[in-house]
Amino acid sequence: MNQTDNAVKASLFVTCIIDQFFPEVGEAAVRVLRRLGVDVEFDQSQTCCGQPAFNNGFWNDAKPTARRLVDSYEGEGNVVVPSGSCAAMLRVFYNELFHDEQDTLRRAQALAPHVFEFTEFVSDVLGAENREGLFHATKPMRVTYHESCHLKRELGVDLQPRSLIKSLPGVELVEMPQAEVCCGFGGTFSVKYADISAAMLNDKIANIQSANVDAVVAGDMSCLMHIGGGLEKQEAGIRAIHIAQLLDERI
Amino acid sequence: MTERNEFFNTIRQALGPQTEAPNLTGTGSSALGDNSDAVSARSQAIQAYIDEQSGPLMDSLSESATGAGWKVARFDDLDKAGDHIVGIVRDVEANLVVRSRQDVLESGIVEAWLASLGVDVVPMALGEHSEHTVDELRSLAERADIGITGVDYAIAETGSCVLIPSAQVSRLVSLLPPIHIAIVQRGQVLPTLDELFTIRRRDFLDGNLGSYMNLISGPSRSADIEYTLVTGVHGPGEVHMILVG
Amino acid sequence: MQSHTKDFRQGAGAALSDPKIQANLEGLYNGFHQARIDASDQTPDWEALQDKGRAIKAHTLDNLAYYLEMVERNVIASGGHIYFARDAEAASNYVVNLAKERGIELVIKGKSMVSEEMALNHRLEEEGIEPVETDLGEYIVQLAEETPFHIIAPAIHKSRVEVSELFAEKLNVPMYDNIEDLTREARDQLRQKFVDAGMGITGANFIVAETGTVTLVTNEGNGRMCTSMPKIHVAITGMEKVVPSIEDLGLFLRLLIRSATGQRISSYVTTVTGPRGEDEVDGPEEFHLVIVDNGRSKMLADPNLREALYCLRCGACLNACPVYRKVGGHAYGWVYPGPIGAIVSPMLTNLSEAKDLPFASTLCGACKEACPVKINIPRMLLYLRKELTQGETYPEHKSVSMAESTAVKGWRASVSSSFMMRLSNLGGRLLQLPFVRGGRIDRLPSPLSGWTKHRKFPAIASKPFRTRWKNIGKK
Repeated sequence: MNQTDNAVKASLFVTCIIDQFFPEVGEAAVRVLRRLGVDVEFDQSQTCCGQPAFNNGFWNDAKPTARRLVDSYEGEGNVVVPSGSCAAMLRVFYNELFHDEQDTLRRAQALAPHVFEFTEFVSDVLGAENREGLFHATKPMRVTYHESCHLKRELGVDLQPRSLIKSLPGVELVEMPQAEVCCGFGGTFSVKYADISAAMLNDKIANIQSANVDAVVAGDMSCLMHIGGGLEKQEAGIRAIHIAQLLDERI
Repeated sequence: MTERNEFFNTIRQALGPQTEAPNLTGTGSSALGDNSDAVSARSQAIQAYIDEQSGPLMDSLSESATGAGWKVARFDDLDKAGDHIVGIVRDVEANLVVRSRQDVLESGIVEAWLASLGVDVVPMALGEHSEHTVDELRSLAERADIGITGVDYAIAETGSCVLIPSAQVSRLVSLLPPIHIAIVQRGQVLPTLDELFTIRRRDFLDGNLGSYMNLISGPSRSADIEYTLVTGVHGPGEVHMILVG
Repeated sequence: MQSHTKDFRQGAGAALSDPKIQANLEGLYNGFHQARIDASDQTPDWEALQDKGRAIKAHTLDNLAYYLEMVERNVIASGGHIYFARDAEAASNYVVNLAKERGIELVIKGKSMVSEEMALNHRLEEEGIEPVETDLGEYIVQLAEETPFHIIAPAIHKSRVEVSELFAEKLNVPMYDNIEDLTREARDQLRQKFVDAGMGITGANFIVAETGTVTLVTNEGNGRMCTSMPKIHVAITGMEKVVPSIEDLGLFLRLLIRSATGQRISSYVTTVTGPRGEDEVDGPEEFHLVIVDNGRSKMLADPNLREALYCLRCGACLNACPVYRKVGGHAYGWVYPGPIGAIVSPMLTNLSEAKDLPFASTLCGACKEACPVKINIPRMLLYLRKELTQGETYPEHKSVSMAESTAVKGWRASVSSSFMMRLSNLGGRLLQLPFVRGGRIDRLPSPLSGWTKHRKFPAIASKPFRTRWKNIGKK
């Protein structure tokens, strides 16, 4: 595939959960971006944004890995993240984490405008919905969209995923009740307060089932791991897929 | 150190060093930054506005009050309103009506309207206007079937009537009886809550705030059991707003 | 009120396994939560109101001493009494002593969360004084000898049948099968109390500094009763409830009421400035305002927590919270439940004892989205988690387990470099071998077993993305 000199460049921050547990989602994201003309880079030194430690109060333990991230992406242009919560960590919560470290704070704030969640980038920057003939139809499919919390409330992204899904021929987007309500994952919350997490998950699964769909789509593998894990346990016959995969299947 | 000073000392320590009086004219600050003249100017502008817009404001009030749960009726003049009120009194087979003593009711019109029905009408008044004590008045309000008042203001935004207790206006006449009838006259309607509080602020600066005020916006209600709305919990369950003019 | 915050897990578990409570909590999403959304959507310039409300709150709290002194001057000038109570006990002592001095035997109460902090009813009863809650929800909760379940609708966890059974048992009346009859019974029971009570105690939704005015937002009429019938009216409130000018009330009434119940306005908004005027027909002869600190100054002093004091006590965050909607108010173990309670209850009682509260959240942000004054609750929860773990501002409350610290050290090592990630991947794949079937793990060992009780867990990928990249490379 030809790469012109002014092809859009993006460095993929694949996130530790996709790296370790769902590498196929990372691959799908890369294929989609490439098909849209993006020159994708991957910095091998990346590990984790630090969210697991940060969310549990271990800010001092989160700082080293977060600092490394800020260092490695400084001046590197666009950073694309196939996860709302990790993108929010970089764009929003590094302000909290580094509130007492002026130099790092400044550099994190300089990085923030270059950090894009995957659907933000594909929709807002690359305008994928507007590209004629970009997506081809496959077997007709009904899907519903689960709104990951940080993606919606910290990054304000809720139109872009829907608009992308609606642009796919043969895919019908069915809204489920309480799509915006948390799935109950919340990181270690899902283990520390497992019963509450399970109760929230059951509600989410019931809502998904009420929409009568083939799949639930979301922008965060953390939510999808939790929802998908529950769907599988209940043998619900509904796929839980990342929006990158949904696009990749049709691009 | 006294208890009171200790309390304030704790707060001052919590706040850290600061100047004594805050900057009141900064952005996002409250209306407190405005001086008395500004308040007067606003108050006068409101008065002019509500006179000029009295018709549309009555229309707007009629709609919002209905939405708020008042039974609303509108009449050109007080006589026609009186006929309607007689109808209400007759329908509920009231025996005892208490009324406040705002100007609109002071001429004895309620007594006149209800004379033929054989209903007792008691003005809630003390002193030379009345032979009742405070306790007796309360008892009468307790037993009354209907309380009739004028209003000091009404508010179109929220469908409210505003009652400011005084020698003429009892707190209980619109609270104890199960039915409250409020008579609103043209020119009394304010557009929103904000105008009301500007006027009250002007009153305060004039030394005239008084001790109490009620905004009444419909019947007494609760949804405390199973989110189900019920009316007539402790205050009146049936409220009529009679718009005159 | 005694704190049971350390029993959060038990309380949450009990609520989760109680089908009646679960059924009653169901109504919150389509009820109060949706009502607030509708009301705010229908209010022109809602966001501008929010920003202005927040700015005024910030300004007032940043100058709290100035405004409280203004309150003091104006309450006294209007003929009222004012008492500044450093804690719940001092506040209780004041009210109880006042009641005793005046020979009060019966007290009627409007809803006051601060009086719950004080366990005031209990203190009054100890002195042989009968306190009667007059708000319908509080009345039910008082009969049931429970604590409020929700700050706006205290008895929302009880179905009509449960209320019916409660009334039948405690009041010796027949079992009513509809809510109108139950309400009428409560009205009749309380009627004579309103007449006989020597003292009315209310809370205050706002205190206006400029005029020394207490503002009450109610729907039932009991607030009006408590401030019109007895000879003495006592208003109790937290010190953060101050707003500067009476002209600020319009804004705050809109924010509070539309966020609490979705109403454009409550049935009654009552303003009280001192005792009744000399020539007034009725009203209390004495007015007392009790302003309570009880630990709020600690939040005031901490720049990370000061904005928790902007709270209007509307309950919107409770209604929006997916955790609260599952576990209800009792699980939180003290006066204030839900998202704002997860900050305020620990800070007003004991942070380390209440450590579950800031952690029992997914940080979804629905609370922040719902808050009429845009309080950033998730940020404060993260701050409290940091404090509990690292103990910087409140070292005496540092409370972190050895196991967790060790696990985090392990995690930190595994993310310290790409090499360490690959190594951990290898280690993880070895460890998971006994557990993996068909790419999934059905049962994780403790302490992770909580996960697999309800979900399958994915196996670690044999080729992580970073390894695959060399094949994807620059195509």
